[in-house]
Amino acid sequence: MDEVTTRLSNCFQVVFPELPNANILAASQDSIAAWDSVAAITLVSVIEEEFGIEMDLDALAEFDSFVSIRGYVNKKLSA
Amino acid sequence: MTITEALKIIQSVPPDSQPFAVIMACGFTPLHLQTLLTARLQRQLPKRRVKLTSGLFGDLAGTLESLIDSELDAALIVIEWPDLDPRLGLRSLAPWSAQAVADILDSARTMLDRIAVAIRRIPPQLRVALVLPTLPFPPLFHTASWQAAETELLLHRDLAQFASQIAQNGRVHIASASYLAEQSPLSTRLDLKSYLLTGFPYTLSHADQVAAAATRLLLPAPPKKGIISDLDDTLWAGIAGEVGSDGVGWDLAGHNQLHGLYQTLLAALSEQGTLIAVASKNDPSVVRKVFERSDLLLRPERIFPIEVHWQAKSGSVSRILETWNIGSDAVIFVDDSPMELAEVAAVHPEIETILFPNRDYDAGLATLRRLRDLCAKERVSHDDTIRLDSIRKGVEFQQQVSSTSTPEHFLAQLHAVLSFDFAAEDPRVLELVNKTNQFNLNGLRYTDSDWHKQCSQPGAICVAVAYEDKFGPLGTISVIQGVTQGQTLHVETWVMSCRAFSRRIEHQCLRVLFDRTGVDTIDFQFKSTAKNGPMRDFLTAIMGKTPDCPCFLSCEIFDKYCPALYHQTTEIGRTAANG
Repeated sequence: MDEVTTRLSNCFQVVFPELPNANILAASQDSIAAWDSVAAITLVSVIEEEFGIEMDLDALAEFDSFVSIRGYVNKKLSA
Repeated sequence: MTITEALKIIQSVPPDSQPFAVIMACGFTPLHLQTLLTARLQRQLPKRRVKLTSGLFGDLAGTLESLIDSELDAALIVIEWPDLDPRLGLRSLAPWSAQAVADILDSARTMLDRIAVAIRRIPPQLRVALVLPTLPFPPLFHTASWQAAETELLLHRDLAQFASQIAQNGRVHIASASYLAEQSPLSTRLDLKSYLLTGFPYTLSHADQVAAAATRLLLPAPPKKGIISDLDDTLWAGIAGEVGSDGVGWDLAGHNQLHGLYQTLLAALSEQGTLIAVASKNDPSVVRKVFERSDLLLRPERIFPIEVHWQAKSGSVSRILETWNIGSDAVIFVDDSPMELAEVAAVHPEIETILFPNRDYDAGLATLRRLRDLCAKERVSHDDTIRLDSIRKGVEFQQQVSSTSTPEHFLAQLHAVLSFDFAAEDPRVLELVNKTNQFNLNGLRYTDSDWHKQCSQPGAICVAVAYEDKFGPLGTISVIQGVTQGQTLHVETWVMSCRAFSRRIEHQCLRVLFDRTGVDTIDFQFKSTAKNGPMRDFLTAIMGKTPDCPCFLSCEIFDKYCPALYHQTTEIGRTAANG
């Protein structure tokens, strides 16, 4: 598991403590009942703190799965 | 605190902990403020599970009006300008015309009145904190940003009037706007993008500062009980032994104003119930001459005890603590010497040590403010104003007790009067419960709402006991709370101030409880703590055995072990027989 994936998994654990570790990589807004609008914004804040980046709230709707968020974070880190 | 830290604190709480229910009434989406406030309250209440709820978006007044019958423990009210009129916020696109601005003033006044009525109806057991608008106005007034518009000034005036009226009942604790401005500058508070896209208007740093201020208001730390101060280059500028009693100073002319301000603060704190003592390595005769100066701002009679000699200051602190009969964790030691602070801290690790900054004016002001914050009281009671005198009298009392060979004769001629208030509601009652360590049944601490619930149980009694003898009044010195069930009184709380020891007050309390309630057994909910040895010793003596759990005392056993009592007892509203 690469470093970004590990750190992002930790963020998901903090925001969704009841989500089993094994399910984090496949996590999406559809598969997690607790992933509501408040959790989405909380997740963004936790990821911003972890990676020291600013995520665009205008693009909040696109942050709907672990995979899509990892792609966004990787792009921000390499920019 | 970051959101990640906050979430980890919240998630670390065992799910079966007793809940501490808080409502946050605000008109915006509470989002990170809710998370940060929950975590900060949780950190202060590690044995409870903080459960924070919020009201409906955009309906602050409606949320407050729904609290009338609530079973909550605390409430935080956060008002922002759009709560008074949506046109004062940036989510509204209503016109900013002159006519609209005039109308805003009227509707804001109406809303403030509605909020004030709702706040007054909040149940009395709820501790309430209020944060007044923290965000800037939109550019809706006709003046430039640097010029205050008349409407803006009128809005501030109406808000101040509202807040001062709300503060008068003493139950609503209002966050200081100037303190918040220092911690969170106005220009760093608004996150407009977040506000427009999510409804949450605060930057994370501002949300954390509001949460921190609210936590201090909802769960205030107990004030320090005493300050022990050095003299040379602390209470005054200069070394008295070198420059003489007239050479030391504390005024503007001598460029020593900081020391004068320190004296002024200590004098004010002393009047408000904080004990002041001196620990100085000095020549006692020189110090005596300084204390004779009429321009001393902290009068010598406000200082007790005074330890002036050349021995270690840690020893002086030990003797002062013994005289005051309080723990080192409730005391501040102030000195200009880091070495002396370290020597005292090594012997008394729980004492709060503060370096007095001699010529650093900014640090000096910060020190004065810190002292005020550490000793601050929400209200000053009658007991606070007589504390110093009662400690002096207590020392005199103990000296007479130890010098007399017949304690019975001594106690009999004290003319002691104990007053029992069986409907005690004075705030001093809960203060005494929460700050007493030694004569404390189980060391339990209560929030306002917890205490109210304890005292509202069916069969509950709550008794406040005040004491006075020929040496003077000690004020309210004991609180007993329990529940009567059949022939048993279950005592859940019992504290007595250490100032009241050696007078058999505790025995008289039990005598009155047996007589007044008619029970034949008292069940003490005793729990041994690191500090409640005096309570354990008393129960051992009165029961004839070490207290266990359950810890029952029958009237018969009490009669067997109770010594002679000499107090006159009165109940508030009626008098009773002599003891």
